[in-house]
Order: sequence, then structure tokens, then C-alpha cells
Amino acid sequence: MWNTAIWRRAWGDQRALVLSLTALWGAFPWIYLWLSAQITMSAFQDVLLRAIPQEWQKLSGVPFAEVATPAGRVALAFVDPVIVLAATVWGITRGSDAVSGQLERGTMEMVLASPIRRTAVFVTQALAATGGAALLCGVLLVSVWTAVASGPWADRVEPARFVPAVANVFGLMVCLGGIASLVSAADSHRWRTIGIMCGFYVLSILAKLVGRLSTTFSWVGALSVLEVYEPQRLVGGGAEAWWLLARYDGVLLGIGIAAYVAGAVIFARRDLPAPL
Amino acid sequence: MIVRTDRLTKRYTRFTALDACTLEVRRGEIFGLLGPNGAGKTTLLRLLLGFIRPTAGSAHVAGCDCEHDSLGVRRRTAYLPGEARLFRRMNGHGVLDFFSRLRPACRRDTAARVADRLGLDCTRQVGRMSTGMRQKLALAVVLATEAELVILDEPTANLDPTARAEVLDLVTEARAAGRTVIFSSHVLSEVETACDRVVILRAGRLVHEQSIEHLRRSHRISARLAGPFEGVPEALAAHVSLAEHRDDRVVLEAADSLPRLLGWLATLPLEEMQVEPVGLGAVYDRFHRGSNDAHGTI
Repeated sequence: MWNTAIWRRAWGDQRALVLSLTALWGAFPWIYLWLSAQITMSAFQDVLLRAIPQEWQKLSGVPFAEVATPAGRVALAFVDPVIVLAATVWGITRGSDAVSGQLERGTMEMVLASPIRRTAVFVTQALAATGGAALLCGVLLVSVWTAVASGPWADRVEPARFVPAVANVFGLMVCLGGIASLVSAADSHRWRTIGIMCGFYVLSILAKLVGRLSTTFSWVGALSVLEVYEPQRLVGGGAEAWWLLARYDGVLLGIGIAAYVAGAVIFARRDLPAPL
Repeated sequence: MIVRTDRLTKRYTRFTALDACTLEVRRGEIFGLLGPNGAGKTTLLRLLLGFIRPTAGSAHVAGCDCEHDSLGVRRRTAYLPGEARLFRRMNGHGVLDFFSRLRPACRRDTAARVADRLGLDCTRQVGRMSTGMRQKLALAVVLATEAELVILDEPTANLDPTARAEVLDLVTEARAAGRTVIFSSHVLSEVETACDRVVILRAGRLVHEQSIEHLRRSHRISARLAGPFEGVPEALAAHVSLAEHRDDRVVLEAADSLPRLLGWLATLPLEEMQVEPVGLGAVYDRFHRGSNDAHGTI
């Protein structure tokens, strides 16, 4: 189930992405907090909140009044495209490379000609991708923590409040990585795997929006994995935030792990076509 | 026998890639696989390695079932794919390190020595290597593996003549070390030089099996008839066959040493007689030049 050579090569493959996302996530909270602190909300907070249609509040998942607090404003960083898209890119790129990417490049051929189980290749790569996600989330947590602790709201916001939000980002990365690996395990072309995953992601966004905005089709929201990616709801602190995180990450990690297991089974049993 | 297949078949939705292939490879021999593109050579090799599952039939390598114990098969096998693709970001040394860690039977120092013999610069990044250099690197990995069975799918493709000769030497050395080699190639002269026995595949079917030693003793005698020809006498039927008899031309194939036939040939009304070794090319052409179903399958 484990192979050191594959582990080292997987880290070599993901090194460039780890380094670039480390730079991005290391810098982003600092820049985000600095920019947010430039806007003094108290002056026109009430006017602004009254101006926004109440229907839109459904989209944010939390009352606008909470969003306007310093903790809420920091929490918005977790639903910013810089975080969400980077987490998505990580999951899809690492997952899609697991099988179909290597089949397409032809590098899987000589690896599997060696005395190594296919499941060992798959599981080792999955662990490396999950380890990479954990490392990046560690970078994000340290960056958020230090940015908050040394920022203008240091005395009003407790940095530890953002641990569940970071854990939610980790859950999303594992979930998308697992699903992408599952598709990759059954496919032979990486571009198609990425296409399927992009389609899946767009459908998830649409399902979440429809579920939020429509009372008739509110059940559609449950079909979206993004329904349980709500880091802005997890910054309230206390046991409630942790329970909510357990529910959210329970679903995300559950789907991710189930997808990895299904992917390993498919990969172990499928025919491997000769590289084109 | 190190390899044994029994009516091994691989069928896809629209075509049959390999059809009821039954063959045996003896320990310590160099076994050639011949056939044009799409004949089923690579399918056969991939079935042996467990990369694909048979639709019917079975295959065993060193007693391991290729479908259900492919790990056991791969422990005993080193495989060079038809087009070996390696990790583009690694350099040659990195690739040798990786595979020597991946398979304990691949000795790092031996791999470096083979790479050196093939004239490969291992400091270069794989992505910056030519196709031939990548082929040499893959060969270094495969030929450094102390496996009972070495499977080489077109090992000399993209190589310069010096490296081709070196590869053939390495293959012969592998046999001398007691290893078995399956050698798939389109280059008939190399197969004839290196192999002990070959099989010819056509459209997924095994159509001919040929001992190279037997082939080397075989001759083709072509001549113009200056009188009546009454066929091959029964006493010589085991040694010579009539390959062609059209108008005043006759072609005979001697499957054994010539001296036995010389007396009989001297009695025939032959003119402009030519005697030449049969060669693998002539055997191959029987099955792959035009449609020739008369030879059937073995």
C-alpha cells in the first residue's frame, strides 16, 4: 500500500505547485487584511446593509451583520477566489495526474512494469496529494494567524477562530482530489478528466446557487459538494463551530476518501491501454 | 518453459487483437516476436505483464498466472515498452535512482554501466534528451534488472547503428547469464542475428514458428527447367519441398544440409541454378506479402 520511491516522485511532481501556492497563500491573508482594514465599515455599515437585498443574504450563508464584523471580514478571505480556486486547482490537478495524466504521458508504463501493486501506486500518490493539501493548509493557517495577530484587529479577533475555516479548506481539497482521482482512475486522457471535473465543479456551484435562491428547488443544494464548504460560518468560535466543522468535513472527507477507495479499486482492475 | 500461453485471446468491441495464441518460451533462449503493426505483438506482451486482462485463455510466466498474479510475474520480469517514456523533469541519474529504488532487482551500478556502454550522458534532463537517448536510458534500466525474463518491445528503434550493435551484445550477454529474452522487433536482420526461435503473428493470430538454427541450414534453390520435372522423390520429401513450379521455373526449399540433395539435383534438367540461404525475410514475406492464407496457422 506504500512505496517510498513513488512518494518521493509524487512530491517531486507536485513541488512546483506546492511552492507557488505556498507563496500565494502565505501572502494573500496579509494583503487581504491590509486591504480590508483600509475600509472603515462603521461609517456606512448600516446604510450598506440596508441597501443590499435581503434575498442576497441567502448566498452568503451568514447574516450580513456578521459579515461586517472584523472576524466576518477576515472569514470572507476563505470564500475569496484566491483561496477557493487555488484549493480547487490543487484537487483537480493532483487528482487528474494520478492515473490518466501518467497514462497520457506514458510514464505509468515502466512504473507498472516494476513489481509494485497498482493500489500501492494509487494510495501513495493519494497520500502525497493529501499531505500536500495539509502542508498548504498549514501555510494558510500560519499566514492567517500571524496576519490577524499582528494586524489592525489584533485586539478584536482571536486567530484561533480561523482553525475550523482552514480545516474546511482542507476538506474541500481532499474531496476534490478524491473525486478527480476517481475520474482519472477510469480515464486515459488527462484533458478529459480535467474537463469532467470542471463540469462537475460548475454544476456544483449552480446547484448550490439554485438551492440557496429557490424555495421550490432548495433540495438541489444538497447535491452540491460546495454546500458543505462554508468557512465563513465556522469563525464564530466555541463548540458550535467545531460541531459544524465536523459535519462539513465529515461529508467532504467522507466523499473524498470514498472516491479514493473507489478509484483504487477501478485502477487495480482496469485494462491499461498502450500509450498513444 | 518460462512462458506458456494457452489459447490466449484479447477481444475488444470491434476487433480481436489476439486470437487463441498458444506458445511456449523455453528458459535461456532469445525468443523473437515478428509481425507488422497491429499483428498483436504488443497485446501479447501486455497480457503477459497483466496490463490487460484476457478475454479467453490463460498465460503463465515462471509459473505465475499473468491475470491473477501479475505482481509475481513482474517480480520475475523486466519490460521495455515499445515507446519508453520517462519523467521529463528528472535527469538520467534521477531516473536510474528512481527505478533502482522501485525494484530491488535493478542494480544502480549496473544500470550506470549499461548507460555508459550505450554512450548515454546521464547528467542531461530527460526532457532535453533525444528519442534515442531516452530509449538508451530505458534500456539501461531494463537491462540492469536481474530478472529471469527480459521482454524488449522494439528495443533498437530510434538507435544509431553502434548502439544497436551494443544492444544486441547486451541481449546475447543476458542469454549467456541464463536469462530468457523475448525480443519483439520489425528489424528482421536483428531478429535473425540475435534470436534462437521466432514466431510470426498476423492479424492477432500466431501463424508460424521458426527455429533460427533450422533456418540457417535451409536453402532456396531456384532454376530454369530444361526438361520435365517429376516432383520431389518420397525418399527426400523430409529434406526438400517444392515451393514453386510455374512454366519452366522451379523453386525448391531445402530444409536440411545440401550435400544430401546434390546427387538428386545433378539428375534434374536444371539450368541457371541459384542456391541461397532462405533467410528470415523470405519466411516473413510468406505471411505478410499480399494475402496468403494457404499457409494457415500452426
